[in-house]
Amino acid sequence: MPLTRQQIAMLMQLVAETTSDELDCSGCLDHLAEFAETHLAGQPLSDALEEVRTHLKNCHCCEHEFQSFLEALKGMSDDSQ
Amino acid sequence: MSATHEDNGWVDRLRDPTLQPQALEQLRDLLLRGLRRAFLSKASDDAFVEDVTQDALVRILDRLDQFEGRSRFSTWAMSVAVRLATSELRRKRTRDISLDGITDGNALRIEFADESTEQPSASAERNSLLSKLQELIDERLTDRQRWAIQALLNGVPIEEIARRTDSNPNAVYKLVHDARTRLKQGFEQAGYTADDLVGLSQ
Repeated sequence: MPLTRQQIAMLMQLVAETTSDELDCSGCLDHLAEFAETHLAGQPLSDALEEVRTHLKNCHCCEHEFQSFLEALKGMSDDSQ
Repeated sequence: MSATHEDNGWVDRLRDPTLQPQALEQLRDLLLRGLRRAFLSKASDDAFVEDVTQDALVRILDRLDQFEGRSRFSTWAMSVAVRLATSELRRKRTRDISLDGITDGNALRIEFADESTEQPSASAERNSLLSKLQELIDERLTDRQRWAIQALLNGVPIEEIARRTDSNPNAVYKLVHDARTRLKQGFEQAGYTADDLVGLSQ
């Protein structure tokens, strides 16, 4: 099956955003809790968390997990944290 | 560690045999609330959420030493639970997806077509870019890289690709990252910018 137009666009996006010092999935997920709190607080990202953001942009799996994580955090009440 | 957060005594209570049962019950309630919100609408039932919560509590106790205080304890604990839930759901959803169709040498094939709605010059530019892409795919990527990228583009998660190839997610990510790097370098050597790649491929 040839690539669909959508798949080609996705591949080109991935190639365009490739950098030499990307985090791998484990490195990204290790920082996900810290990244989520910073993200939810609307605070600026440190260099390390910028790398998490870049990884999430390039890795559909981790981005999907991050969205589930944000939903789960919303499900917890603030006063019990 | 860039900043530390109070853990509200979670770690001490979870380590203290006399306080642990109550702490586990409180943590269980927190995790259940979060996991239900995140996963009950995603084709999982409450039994799934209960099972994952139980597994998460075991894993959290095993990994208490790994909590570094870079986030609140409850956030960290929830990240462990979400990790488990996501992995299990992916395993269930993708176990029936066949990857056989992309092992026959046809991975990452591009068909060229003139788009009737495009200006001829735009169509020519796009076809030129796609032609370069196919050339780079054929000349610079290994069979494993082509196969892994095709699987990803077909929606198979990295974790599942790793499982089916007796590898691990980091190794698969590196395989794909190396492939992306080769393609990007090839495009740069041919005079294309990152903006060209995104703009012309739409």
